[in-house]
Amino acid sequence: MGSGSRAGDILWGLAGIIITLAGWELATRLGAIDPTIFPGPITAILTAAHQLPASVFLDNMAWSLFRVTGGFLLGAAAGTIIGFAAGWYRGFGYFARPLIELLRPIPPLAWIPLAIIWFGLGEPSKFFIVFLGAFFPVVTSAYHGITHVDPSLIRASRSFGLKGLGMLFHVGIPASAPDLATGLRIGWGLSFGVLIAAELIAADRGLGFMIMNERNAGGSVSVIIAGILLIGFLNLVTDAALASVLGRWIGRWHGA
Amino acid sequence: MRQQLVQAFIALLMIAVILLGVELGVREEYLKAYEFPPASRIVQGFIELTTVGFPTGVTIWSHIFVTVIRILKGYIAAMAIAIPLGMLIGAVPVLDKMTVPLIVFFRSVATLSLLPLVIVWFGAGELTKVILIAYGCFWVMLSNVIAGVKYVDPALIRAARAFKVNGWTLYREVILPAALPRMFAGARVALGVGFMVIVGAEMIGTIQGLGALIMEARSFYRSEITVIGMLVIGILGYLITSGLAALERLLLPWGGGSSEAA
Amino acid sequence: MALKQSRASALVKAGIGPDAGLNPVVASPMIDIRHVQKRFAIRGGGQTVVLENISLSIAANQFVSIVGRSGCGKTTLLNIIAGLDAASSGEVLIAGQRVVGPGQGQGMVFQQHSLFPWLTALENVAFGARSLPLGKAEKISRARTLLELVGLEGSAGKYPREMSGGMQQRVAIARALALDPDILLMDEPFGALDELTRIEMQQELLRIWEARRKTVVFITHSIGEALTLSDRVILLAPHPGRIAHDITIELPRPRSRTDRHFNAIYEQVWRGLAS
Repeated sequence: MGSGSRAGDILWGLAGIIITLAGWELATRLGAIDPTIFPGPITAILTAAHQLPASVFLDNMAWSLFRVTGGFLLGAAAGTIIGFAAGWYRGFGYFARPLIELLRPIPPLAWIPLAIIWFGLGEPSKFFIVFLGAFFPVVTSAYHGITHVDPSLIRASRSFGLKGLGMLFHVGIPASAPDLATGLRIGWGLSFGVLIAAELIAADRGLGFMIMNERNAGGSVSVIIAGILLIGFLNLVTDAALASVLGRWIGRWHGA
Repeated sequence: MRQQLVQAFIALLMIAVILLGVELGVREEYLKAYEFPPASRIVQGFIELTTVGFPTGVTIWSHIFVTVIRILKGYIAAMAIAIPLGMLIGAVPVLDKMTVPLIVFFRSVATLSLLPLVIVWFGAGELTKVILIAYGCFWVMLSNVIAGVKYVDPALIRAARAFKVNGWTLYREVILPAALPRMFAGARVALGVGFMVIVGAEMIGTIQGLGALIMEARSFYRSEITVIGMLVIGILGYLITSGLAALERLLLPWGGGSSEAA
Repeated sequence: MALKQSRASALVKAGIGPDAGLNPVVASPMIDIRHVQKRFAIRGGGQTVVLENISLSIAANQFVSIVGRSGCGKTTLLNIIAGLDAASSGEVLIAGQRVVGPGQGQGMVFQQHSLFPWLTALENVAFGARSLPLGKAEKISRARTLLELVGLEGSAGKYPREMSGGMQQRVAIARALALDPDILLMDEPFGALDELTRIEMQQELLRIWEARRKTVVFITHSIGEALTLSDRVILLAPHPGRIAHDITIELPRPRSRTDRHFNAIYEQVWRGLAS
């Protein structure tokens, strides 16, 4: 239902970006927006580079990525295993599901004070929060996937002598892969957002800390803006990377 | 139905077991009361919160009220702009193509990461929090409104055109109703986002509101109050989502399933 | 006219009634169904009888069709033979052994192809052989041979969603054959295909069957299909499911639908179904 090719769409998209950036830059140059509190994109990045060495940005970025990746892997692993187990084994599901549903409405960030109480102010508390961010979407999608396996596939595999764990691994899990992939993507996005927030609130390293600290120390707005742009950019890039990996995994046979 | 009752029963049972376990653990000194506030303390804390308040003078109801008002302000502001803007963009393909990368980018910026920036511009008061909530809700809602308008089943439009329904009438009587389920889904997700944002935003630089409550409580070693706060947040979140779902069922009796939202 | 009628009748040996299955008498049947009854519990208490006293003997390498309306229990009966379901009373013997589960020489093909979407055609067929004590390379080569048999050597690397309905069913047949089963159980395998593909697949199936003789139990609700394919047609009447007619067909294959003998038998079966 479109008029125009894919290339045309991309060009329009670029046009939109350029217009916005140019508009922003112009507005600051022309004084419509005070450049000291809202520098244009070019100014911001240049000033930021001047204020803080790249190594500071990179160092904080590394810490943030470390925490997200670690927490996400833990959360996704736990979510996958528990989700599959709860869906495949009725008995386990009867106990696991209510517990998960009880905890789900509590946003991961609300766990921060408790995480600090339990784990102190160090890395484990950050991992825990990120873990929670990843866990719930993944456990939901794993559970949904394994409980919605096409029954005709189950019947077919039974006719070939498959049962029990064999059926779980050869049929249940592959059939759930598309749902799980969706959950993993959502979980990653949440984990990322949750980590930044957690770093803003209670950390001494990382991108979230960096921008908050800059504000608290009365530092440069440019650094804050540059930091925010970097966070947004990282989010996009990592999500695209994840989507491409997942696409390679299930893309060819699933086609969705 | 029966299954749901069984599950609810098991849930209650497990809560009881956990509470009992914690109570005993603390009595026998296996668990630190600070880390695992026992039921007795939680009850005391609750009484305090509802009467005297914590910090003194601010009852739990106050906290809830403050938080909810903040969410509402930001949410309504976001909806007021996102809905008309989204409908416009969805209806004009050129606008849509131009704005896609922008929307995708701005949506990826973790809302709370804007907090320092917004504080620099607007100080650390109420306005800042409302702005943050509005930001978070806005982009989610916008995406969903655009998608709702864009992806109206072409078969419906074709059918309407066959009856000579065009232009503004087509928009009002076919496209809008068809887009509603998706818009509702977006409204639901947006509210959820707003909720998550405020909890985080309140943990910095304020003593009123649920997020502030649980953070403050921790620094005064009142872990039981933190736990109560978390539970209240959870209940509030649950009420919000089921409330919206019920509202949707009421207003959109024809179904159309809105389990899809970005 | 009368001469031709009697000629047609001579080509049909019809058995009527509950003992139908024992005529023709089979010495050592490949499949022996003895007084099978299947009951299901229904909501609100009580039971419904889906299959009532089914007795049937099928000789080795016979192609038998089971025809009947929806709900007459054909699929249930097939599932019981396949060992996927248990009879409430009575038993089924395959080559003299009681059926207690799948894996006793039953290969199955379903209406929805039920190919695993995450495996290629080759891998799907090889999957059929998984319970056999063969090495991986042997399974793959066996799979390749079978794909050749069904005319799909070129599509070994394709995924189910990249293939047409007819191709998918051919892979499903190859997969069932990979087990080297004694019996092929087919549950309306061509039901989801369009008419033209369906006719094509019927000829394909006969060709494959001539190449690899098996005992086939084929479920269909199409009389034409049953008559094109089978040595014997069992008519199942519903509520409860029981054998109404057992008709042996001795027309030589390939059978033409325009042949008047074919049509005579068709009419006979049709009348049998309607009664």
